[in-house]
Amino acid sequence: MTKELGEDMLTLNKLSYEEQDNVATLRLGAPVDVAVIRDLQAVCEYLEDESSCDILVLRGTEERFCGEIDMKAFDPGKPLDIHGFHKWEKALTWIERLPKLTIAAIRGRCVGAGLHLALVCDQRVATPDATFWLDEVSRGFLPGMSTFRVAKYVGLGRAKSLVLAGRQLDAATAEQWGLVDQVAAPTELEAAIDALVRAWTPENAIALELARRLLNESYGIQYEEFIGNFLAAQHRAITSERFLELLKKAHSE
Amino acid sequence: MVSKLAESLPQVLSVGTATPPDRYTQEEVLAMFDSPDPRVRGFYLNGHIRTRHLVLPDPVDGKREPESQEALIDKHRTWSVRLGREAIARCLDPLGLTTADVDYLACVTTTGYLCPGVSAYLVRDLGFREDVHRIDVVGMGCNAGLNTLQPTAAFCATNPGKLALMLCVEVCSAAYVNDGTLRSAIVNSLFGDGAAAVALKTGSWVTPKGKRHGPRILGFESHTISDALMAMRFDLYEGKLSFFLDRDIPYVIGSHVEKPIARLLKKFGLKRRQIAHWVVHSGGRKVIDSVKYNIGLTDHDVRHTLTVLRDYGNVSSGSFLFSLERLLEERVTRPGDFGVLMAMGPGVAIETALVQW
Repeated sequence: MTKELGEDMLTLNKLSYEEQDNVATLRLGAPVDVAVIRDLQAVCEYLEDESSCDILVLRGTEERFCGEIDMKAFDPGKPLDIHGFHKWEKALTWIERLPKLTIAAIRGRCVGAGLHLALVCDQRVATPDATFWLDEVSRGFLPGMSTFRVAKYVGLGRAKSLVLAGRQLDAATAEQWGLVDQVAAPTELEAAIDALVRAWTPENAIALELARRLLNESYGIQYEEFIGNFLAAQHRAITSERFLELLKKAHSE
Repeated sequence: MVSKLAESLPQVLSVGTATPPDRYTQEEVLAMFDSPDPRVRGFYLNGHIRTRHLVLPDPVDGKREPESQEALIDKHRTWSVRLGREAIARCLDPLGLTTADVDYLACVTTTGYLCPGVSAYLVRDLGFREDVHRIDVVGMGCNAGLNTLQPTAAFCATNPGKLALMLCVEVCSAAYVNDGTLRSAIVNSLFGDGAAAVALKTGSWVTPKGKRHGPRILGFESHTISDALMAMRFDLYEGKLSFFLDRDIPYVIGSHVEKPIARLLKKFGLKRRQIAHWVVHSGGRKVIDSVKYNIGLTDHDVRHTLTVLRDYGNVSSGSFLFSLERLLEERVTRPGDFGVLMAMGPGVAIETALVQW
């Protein structure tokens, strides 16, 4: 059953959102501006507070995963400030930390802002025509906090190719580099996403959130500090009601 | 313009802290207590603490003699008054106020038993008025500052415009036992000496010199985990009070911390993400980790909690006020920001308060 959300539940200006069973879908595509950032915040808020969905799939159009940062949003007649960039990064971090499994389904151009969004998702599935490019440095500014994230996926040398030399990757190379997890033909894309959705079980909701946090924090931290974090997280996981139910089930079998 | 409702809520006017002058690195304290056990070494060196301020007797012939119970009680009395005097001055001076302006004085300590209580010594020595209302809260542990903030705030709410002062003073080095046991080594590696004073009053906003103004107190929420009653306690051991910390206690606190936080936020219709500032008791590395992962706080959220632990160790009841002082000095709070104060301790207790700037 597809549930179209009424205006009383979630009002978006540039993006569209729908839910089917336990999967929420957010359709991107529009160039990133203040209105898109507001839409992303509204979606995150809705997902955290209201939605019973377990999974969020981000999709673009056939041509592009997400529009790039709209240069027309900047007024050359006014002094520029950094606050819009900060809001964008906060929205990305919110998506990165959602208590949901997040999947990016990528077709066509995944450039700039699109790649930033893809990198904060838990899984990236792309069609063979997808292209990946961080073009910001060639345009005279910086590719956001992808400078923080991208090397963790591909290593520092390849990150320099992407960020500094502006190298464009096709889907096959992106998969080989670890920037995407899976390449699927356009006719196979839905099946690939379905497989990820089916593999998800409600038991791992808390574990997913904790494990993702530990992985994201695993760079730039001492072992001695990290093990304290791990023990705290593991204790939370093994004392959750769902884990206790699983234990009881295991004993009764 | 401040609404009449906001003006009727007690505001944290100022926070002042004090520590004894002698500061020791963990390596120095470890060497003094002379424990070759690698596990003891681990407690001292892997716990995020770098330095602590302590009152320790001078060594005799290079050896540090154990202090008698009488000497420890004497140390607690002397240093409670000395640290209290400094913390209160640092709290009131930036407000242009003196002890004679204080209408209600609450004193909190767990590290020594006195009768008459600390507040009576302070009234005699520090120039408080003879009609000042006093209360001493003794023996509640690290959470006691937040427990006592509640009646202190209640005094302000029922006595508009009157000035209340709460002092948390802990001479943890007066509760050290040098008996070579692991349980004592854990305690000796963690706790530090320190005092913190906070002034509260209702009325229009007050901003102390050089600081951002403090928040108003909206409400409290408590949580007692009776199953773990004995997990943190003082025992009488060879004629001395010796503190005991169960090794599972950080995790027990972690698995309950969501409950009082959820109740507190629900009471005010707030979501966790609307809390801009978290002021958490620096109990120890493990309990901070546990709180972080159970209510989803980042290292940035607990930055002051971590640096207070690093610089002072666990200074018990006043610890959250050390963090609050750093937050006010940071000048990042904005009008309307919400904050949560949280302290954990024996009971087992998790005490919380919601505040708003």
